[in-house]
Parts: sequence; C-alpha cells; structure tokens
Amino acid sequence: MLRFLGFRLLRAAVTIVLVVSFAFLVLRLSGDPAQIIMGADAPPEAVAAFRQAWGLEEPLYVQYLRYFGAILRGDLGRSMRDGREAITLVAERIPATLALTVPALLIKLCIGIPAGITAALHRNSLIDRAVMVLAVAGFTVPSFVLGLLLVLVFAVQLGWLPSGGQDSWRHAILPIVTMGVGGAAVLARFTRSAMLEVLGQPYIRTASAKGVPWRAVVWGHALPNAAIPTVTIIGFMVGSLIAGAVVVESVFSWPGVGRLLVVAVANRDLAVVQCILLLVAATMVTANLVVDLLYGALDPRLRNAVRGA
Amino acid sequence: MIDRRSLLAGSALAALPRFAIGQSDQRPSITVAVQKISNTNTLEPLREQSNVGERVMVTSLWEGLLGRDYAGKLETIPVLATEARRLSDSVVELKLRQGVKFHNGDELTAEDVAFSFGNDRMFGPGGPNSGATIRVGEVNPGRTGKELPIEVPAVANRSFPGIERIEVVDKYTVRWINRTPDVTLEGRMARYGAEIGSRRGYAEAATWLDWSRKPVTTGPYKVAEFRADHSLTLVAHDEYWGGRPPLKQLRFVEVPEVSSRVNGLLSGEYHFACDIPPDQISGIERNRGFEVQGGTIPNHRLTVFDRNHAPLRDARVRRAFTHAIDRQAIVDSLWAGRTSIPRGLQWEFYGDMFVGDWSVPKFDLAEARRLLREAGYKGDPIPYRLLNNYYTNQTPTAQVLVEMWRAAGLNVQIEMKENWSQILEPGATRAVRDWSNSGLFSDPVSSLVNQHGPNGQQQQVGEYANEEFNTLCRALETGTDRAQRKQAFRRMLEIAEREDPAYTVLHQNATFTAKRKDIRWKAAPAFAMDFRAANWGA
Repeated sequence: MLRFLGFRLLRAAVTIVLVVSFAFLVLRLSGDPAQIIMGADAPPEAVAAFRQAWGLEEPLYVQYLRYFGAILRGDLGRSMRDGREAITLVAERIPATLALTVPALLIKLCIGIPAGITAALHRNSLIDRAVMVLAVAGFTVPSFVLGLLLVLVFAVQLGWLPSGGQDSWRHAILPIVTMGVGGAAVLARFTRSAMLEVLGQPYIRTASAKGVPWRAVVWGHALPNAAIPTVTIIGFMVGSLIAGAVVVESVFSWPGVGRLLVVAVANRDLAVVQCILLLVAATMVTANLVVDLLYGALDPRLRNAVRGA
Repeated sequence: MIDRRSLLAGSALAALPRFAIGQSDQRPSITVAVQKISNTNTLEPLREQSNVGERVMVTSLWEGLLGRDYAGKLETIPVLATEARRLSDSVVELKLRQGVKFHNGDELTAEDVAFSFGNDRMFGPGGPNSGATIRVGEVNPGRTGKELPIEVPAVANRSFPGIERIEVVDKYTVRWINRTPDVTLEGRMARYGAEIGSRRGYAEAATWLDWSRKPVTTGPYKVAEFRADHSLTLVAHDEYWGGRPPLKQLRFVEVPEVSSRVNGLLSGEYHFACDIPPDQISGIERNRGFEVQGGTIPNHRLTVFDRNHAPLRDARVRRAFTHAIDRQAIVDSLWAGRTSIPRGLQWEFYGDMFVGDWSVPKFDLAEARRLLREAGYKGDPIPYRLLNNYYTNQTPTAQVLVEMWRAAGLNVQIEMKENWSQILEPGATRAVRDWSNSGLFSDPVSSLVNQHGPNGQQQQVGEYANEEFNTLCRALETGTDRAQRKQAFRRMLEIAEREDPAYTVLHQNATFTAKRKDIRWKAAPAFAMDFRAANWGA
C-alpha cells in the first residue's frame, strides 16, 4: 500500500511540475507581460522599466530556473499588477469560489445520483425519458447560456434575484444553480448508465431469484458496483472545486479564483496564473488519489490486487 | 414596570435619531457597472494610465491645479488653482484656491502641491529626468514600503519632461519651474496624472500600495472601500470645496460581460451600465425607461503603418490605403452615426493650435488605384495584425477595411493576435495594425509628438521614422513662438497623414453609457463620469 501511495504521489509531483512548466512556457512565449500590463499607449521607457524591474529581459531559461528555485523555497512570486504576493491574492479568492462550488457540488450529488438511479430503475418509462431529456438538456446547454437565461427570467423579468455581484447570499443562488444543474445532469447520465449495466449482471438476477428483496438487491449489490464510474466523476468535480467556476464567475461578476485566473491570464500576470494552476493541479491530483483509494474500498478485487503488488 | 414618563422619553429617543438621520442625508446612492475599474488594481493616476482609470478617478476622486471642462469641450480650466500666470517661458506661478479640504480634513496648501510633483510621489530618489530606474536586482519588486513602482517615475518623466521643481512661494502660491521653455505647461498641469494628493495622507499610509488604493485627495467623493477586480465604493466628501456632493454613495462594480451589465441595469440593480457596444444601443432603448448616453471621447482610432514592410516602403502604397477608406460608411454602419470623423489627429480643444482647414484624406478609390499603379504594387500580401475587439468595433471595422482596401487593389490579410506584445513584435509580417491616440492636453505635443514622434512608441518599436517630421517634433516641443509652432504642426500633419503616412485617422472613438431615463445626468465628452452637483439632477 505504501508503495502504491508513494508511486501515486511521485506521479502527482511530476504532473504538477509538467503543468506549471507548460503554463510558464505558454504564457511567456505568447506575449510580453510588460507591454500587456502597461497597455497599448504606455510610454516605451515605462515598458522598458517594467521589464527591467521584473527580470523579463533575462533569457527564458534563467527566468524559468529562478521561478522554480523560488517555488522550492516556498515563494510563489508576486503579482505584476500590484506587487502583492500571488498566494495572498489567490487565498483571498478561495472562500468566494468555495461558496459557489461546494453548494453546487451538493446540488449535483443530491439531484444527479438519485435521478440517475430512479431513471435506471424505471428504464424506458416516462420517468426515465423525462430524466434523460432534462439531463441531456442540462448537459448540452453551456453554463454561460444557462446563466444568462436564469438571469433573464429570475432577475430581469421576475425581479426575484440579483443578476450578479457578491453582496449577499441571494447573489449566490443563480450561479450555484447554474453550476449545479449542469453537473447534476452529467452525474444523472453516468449513474443511470452504470446502474443499467450492473442491473443486467447475472449476480443481480441470482440475488433476485434467491428471493432477496429488490430494495436490498439495489442498495446492497447494484449501487456499490455502479459507484465506481460515478465516484470517478465526483472525484473530477471535487478536483474542480477551486477552478471550476471560471465561466460562471465571469457571467455573474463573482470575485472568485476563476475571475482572478481570467484577469491574470489576460494580463500575463505570471505568478498569479502559476499559483492558481499549481493549486488546481494539486487539488486535482489529490482528488484523483482519493478516488484511487476509494476504488479499493468499493471493489475488493482492486484492494487485493494492490496488496498483491 | 414602564411608567408614562419613561415611555414618552423612550418614544422621543427612538424617534429622534431616525428624524435626524432622515434630515441629514437623503441623498441617493447609486451603482455603476463598468467592464473594468482599474487595470493595475490601484487608484493612483501615475500608475493607472488608462481610460478605465480616468472614468472612476477624474472629477470624482482626484483633482488637479488645472483641469478640463467636462461640461464643455474639454478646454483647460482652473480647478484647485484660481490663477495661472506666466512669469517666463519656463515659469508659471499658480495661486491656490483657499479653503479646499482634503478627505482627511487638512487644508490644501503649497506644500501638498510640492509633494504631488515631488520625488516621493513621482520621480523617486533620483529626481525628475534622472534617467535612473529603481534597480530591483534578483528579486521581484514588492510593495512592502514606500518605494515607487518602477513605471511611475517613467510615466512622470514622460508627462512632465522638463520639470525642475515646484517652488513654494507662500502657503497658497507655488511656482512651477521648468528647465526648458515650454508653452504647454498649463496643458500639462491639466492632464491626467497631474492631480494633487495630500502630503500627510501619503506620509501616514503604511505602504505605497495602501496609498494607491485609498489616496487622500480633494475630490467630491472619498474612498470607502476598494476591492480589487470587484468594486470601488466612494462616499460623499461633504467638505468638498465645490459644494456638497449630490450622492451619498457612488459605487462602481466590475461586470466584465456586456450582457450581464445590461441585465443588471434592466433589473434595477445598477443605475448606470458603461461600455455599451453600439449594436446594443437600440435594444436597450426599446425599454422606455432607459436611454444610452455618451459619444465621442478625446481619442481617435488609427490604422498604423510599418514603413519597413516591403510593399509599404513606397509611400504611395500607404497613401493608397488612406484614400481607399470610406470612413463615413464605417461611422454610419458600425457606429449608427454616433461618432464623427475628425480633422486629422487633432482636437478643437487645442485652441489656437487647431488647424481648422485640415481634413483626413478624401475617400477616392480612383486615386488609390492610381497610386498603386504608380508604385508598381503587384498584389503582394500585406499582413494586418489584429486584436479581437480591444477597441470597440475593432474586428468588424477591420473586416470592412480589408474589403475597402481590396476594392482599391490592396491584398490585405488579417492575422489575429492575442495581445499587444504580439502586435508589436518586429518581423517581416508587421505591416498594418490598429491603434488609437488621445489628446491628453491642449496641444499637439500630447498626441502627435507623444505617440508618433522620435520618443513615441511607433518610432521606438521601429515602425516609422522621418527626418523632417522629427526635426519639427523638436521644434514643437521646445518652440515658444505660437505662429511658428502652428506652422510646424501643420507641416507635421502633412507629412504623417499625407506625404509619408505614419498612420491614418479612421474616426473619433466613442463610449456609451446606458442609464435609467429618469436620472438627470449628462455624459461628458470623455471617459470621466462627472457626478458633481452641477451634473446631477440638473
């Protein structure tokens, strides 16, 4: 088990290094932060001074090595826009993002999984078709379209909720619903399909034939076996808690990590972008690790395979 | 047990504060949705050199000794100074308005003016024009102390290139002493970046960043809260020298999406929605309760040429570009006629420097074709580096331009780019690009010389050079004879817009603000939004 964990952690570290290196190269090769941050009309001497101050005149490999050296010392750099520490800027935005993504995740789980199970248990019924129509609609409508539609109905037409901003809990409702609906639709589809596959297995028929009550068959045999693909999706959703709200935060003017990322990328604010990517990569890798461990808990065959290894 | 007397006393106490509050402040609080509050996340004009910064800072927060008439045509007017008197070509004496209070309650004095144009706020330890920048060394700069961001001295030196010092004559009198003769000093004092801050306010701020996010100034509103990339809340500065501000609170919120700004306006969440694209205007005005105001700003949209690009080396090809553009068609079709075609790169507020009989090159396809024939242009591709709507209507304008140029015989090919760095990158594919130019103050030095002269971006990045033009730039910057300066300016327009085009002017830029119709407020001919008493409820 320790070997398994060690291997996964090593793979996670390599993944993070690759992500950060890729981001560094892409951002640095796609534009000069000095010109971008200072703007089109900035005096040339101001742009030159900016470049000098931030070491942007150094060869790329020197900047890269310096950046990585700083990361190893725990220094994630400073924002080129206002000189504040990137980690501070990002940390300030995390609560706002979690205020959207955590409730949205709960909506996804509370609606998506039961809807998928219900649809599978009533295959080809009206309920199944209704759930699937809604799921396909929720899955295919982009979040920015859904968000704007919700704003038009509930803010502009009905006047029940605010259209954007972050001044009260009411401001969070529409963005949470926007994110929750799409994720619930995805979960519903995956859960239904996994359940249908399991429900067709011989051991389900055997359990039923032996007189095990249907509820016990579903809860005791079908659900745990259908959980593996669903857990994978949930793991991805948990991994996206930090950076999963880029579009929704922009549509609803919500000052979270997603908005910060958009602004930082547009300004080539390297330290801030890399800090966010580092955080996202770490979250995603951790979530994947937890999912891998959960596989073992859900499926004894995987657990035994790991022990055997 | 509650007796009658205590009940009455209690009732009276309960009623009093409500009555007092109601009496003291019934002014409205308003919310303005903008695309961006500040690019740099600061409220210091020397750092935030942008149109968006001008919008939230000028007239509401910061004021200069001289300023611009936002109710008129942006002429230079006295603001914190009551009088500006020339003592020589290089010295101006200014009498300060008395009784002006900063947001911290201090009175404005000559010492505050000296501080505002001094080393601590503007130029750094080296002083003006020292040429030195703050060397940071191996570590990135942090704003832990009072050291200036490195670009601030550079901007200050560019804005006030000849300043030697501000001499304090007495409590209410200062002298601006320039190293060189400069007839544009009054204009420079009115420009964005020449605003006055409190010396004590700066001294008491723990860091430069603290100062830049809550500057102590004299404007009608003071900073209550600034949340970077999210909102800026200003509250009334009731000791404002120009009278009690009409709003209790003025809040700017950052709403990057146009549709979200419009929806927020229609749902009543915002009172104003800024940066409305022209194609959205009719949709908003279909709602009877709303209107879109605004119009031209002191900024002209340009097409800029790189004369090093092979086909563009021949001035006749560039001249063909300028004649192939039907500017009125662009204004009518993409701007719904709500902007105008200026008389070249100049503004009426230049006063006696305005060349009234000048105009942009005439739309003349035959002339464009003739020039191309004479130049022997064979249809070689000419790249057009383009950003996706950095300027309003930029992409559709580019598409229209390419077709207009094609009609004249020019083979222009759009190359989409992501940022300014990619646009300006030297190389064989740099030929045509978009730009704009602002009239920062009442003289052509602020625009033509600033951006296209020897120290301007176009020449600094190697796109353009013309010996006579550059000689005239120097004459315009240092000359004191107004007639000769105007003659030089006219000749520069002839060179840069006709003979050896550096650029061609397309149209004046415009910005549009949607608002509730029942709010009586008038948009200024600039980005600045004026929420002073004279422009509210009038």
